[in-house]
Amino acid sequence: MIIIKKKSWQINENLVTPKELFEKRRSFIKLGVASLVTSGAVMELLAKENLPNITLDFIKDENKNNLKLNTYEQITSHNNFYEFTTNQAKVKDIAHTLQTDNWKIKIDGLVENPMEIDLDDLKKQLTLEERIYRFRCVEGWSMVVPWNGFTLSSLIKKVKPLSSAKYIRFETLVDTSSFPDQKRGAFGAVEYPYVEGLRIDEAYNDLSFLAIGLYGEIMPKQNGAPIRLVVPWKYGFKSIKSIVKISFVDKEPLNTWQKENADEYGFYANVNPNVDHPRWSQKKERVLGSFLKQNTLMFNGYEKEVSGLYTKMDLTKFI
Amino acid sequence: MKRFFIYLIAFLPIVYLLIRLFILDDVNDPIKYIYTITGVSATIILFISIIISMIKNKINLMKYRKEIGLLSFFYALLHLINFIVFDALFDFEFIIKETLDKPFIYLGMIAFFILLFMAITSSKQLFRKYNNYHKLVYISLILITIHWIMAQKSINITQFIYIGIILIIGYYKLLQQIVKNSKI
Repeated sequence: MIIIKKKSWQINENLVTPKELFEKRRSFIKLGVASLVTSGAVMELLAKENLPNITLDFIKDENKNNLKLNTYEQITSHNNFYEFTTNQAKVKDIAHTLQTDNWKIKIDGLVENPMEIDLDDLKKQLTLEERIYRFRCVEGWSMVVPWNGFTLSSLIKKVKPLSSAKYIRFETLVDTSSFPDQKRGAFGAVEYPYVEGLRIDEAYNDLSFLAIGLYGEIMPKQNGAPIRLVVPWKYGFKSIKSIVKISFVDKEPLNTWQKENADEYGFYANVNPNVDHPRWSQKKERVLGSFLKQNTLMFNGYEKEVSGLYTKMDLTKFI
Repeated sequence: MKRFFIYLIAFLPIVYLLIRLFILDDVNDPIKYIYTITGVSATIILFISIIISMIKNKINLMKYRKEIGLLSFFYALLHLINFIVFDALFDFEFIIKETLDKPFIYLGMIAFFILLFMAITSSKQLFRKYNNYHKLVYISLILITIHWIMAQKSINITQFIYIGIILIIGYYKLLQQIVKNSKI
């Protein structure tokens, strides 16, 4: 029988650092220090700029028009999202109720491949891009937003529309536990579900975009998480939020604001400084965060890209 | 002392507005925000001045009515200045065209000119001469209501509540008038 008698300097086996770890320790310490320094510096920068952590991978927009971005703070604290409230400044504080886990989008109607697609799967299948776009609200305010997402046409190509499909109809989620205004019934701000539409050639235009984020971060709930449309040459209400259904149809869909008040809001809603809203002028716009107004541009500055869609159309009639 | 408190409370909205705009600097749409704060303040203060006349037999605050009316006019004036300076950028051709063109604007303008007329004729001498015309304030209130509802993209619960208050005041005023007439 061997009795091992430990010397005073000998320690128990379980207190010994494994060899691999011991050898890794230098790089581990370096990594720790580096992460402390960088995250500290980055965090400080982010706090200064009030920017979110960039969590998405995407192809950068070169911003050829040299548009001046609105701040993340402005973009995420001024929202028309009537499913929550008509108070633009308040949406941010109450939007946390929107439930976006396991989001699915149903694509149906006149297509070869109708599908119900999981948003997470869809994100993996498509290349994410950044698009820096002007955004002009029919109420007269505007901003510049760096969106992240993919072209609407890349999704359309997946489902292969039939030649009989002339329009696309979009629908926002209806869920009273997500959206407080949907509980109010007849006292709600508008009738739900919120519906929007595009002509199929408008949808194929390269500017038409499905955004799943902004400023490199997944879409904040108040801005229409988890996926929203962005059609920058049209008034903001066309850019429908929190989309759950996309249908390919043969007739022009009746969009929510046209249904609410057809004298004032039409299907096309192209930004047009020469056609006034019946109650206010559309010649100029109030850029968020500024006292100074600026001129509104025809098709919101995207005339070159989209005016071809509307030749032979009287834009004073097709509002 | 009471007078001091009236002014103190009445100037809270403008102080709050200036703090938000220039100290906190957290207003996204400043021109719109100035419209909202000055418009709502003018309307609420005008309501208070009308309620003072309505309840004068129960609680007599008549000696403050003129000043409260003028405070309402002060906010209405700021509201109009916002239109001329920031919204229209002193483009008077645009202002005139918009005023003639758009009901939303001319209803607001008419309401403002009623308040302007009342402010000018609020001195003791002129009031004696013109006080009958001061009933125009009810017209002004109706126009303000329409103007305010037209400023919204759609009508929601707040507007319904407001319309409810207007109807209650209208009904009460009508009752008072009937009682008054039947006494004669």
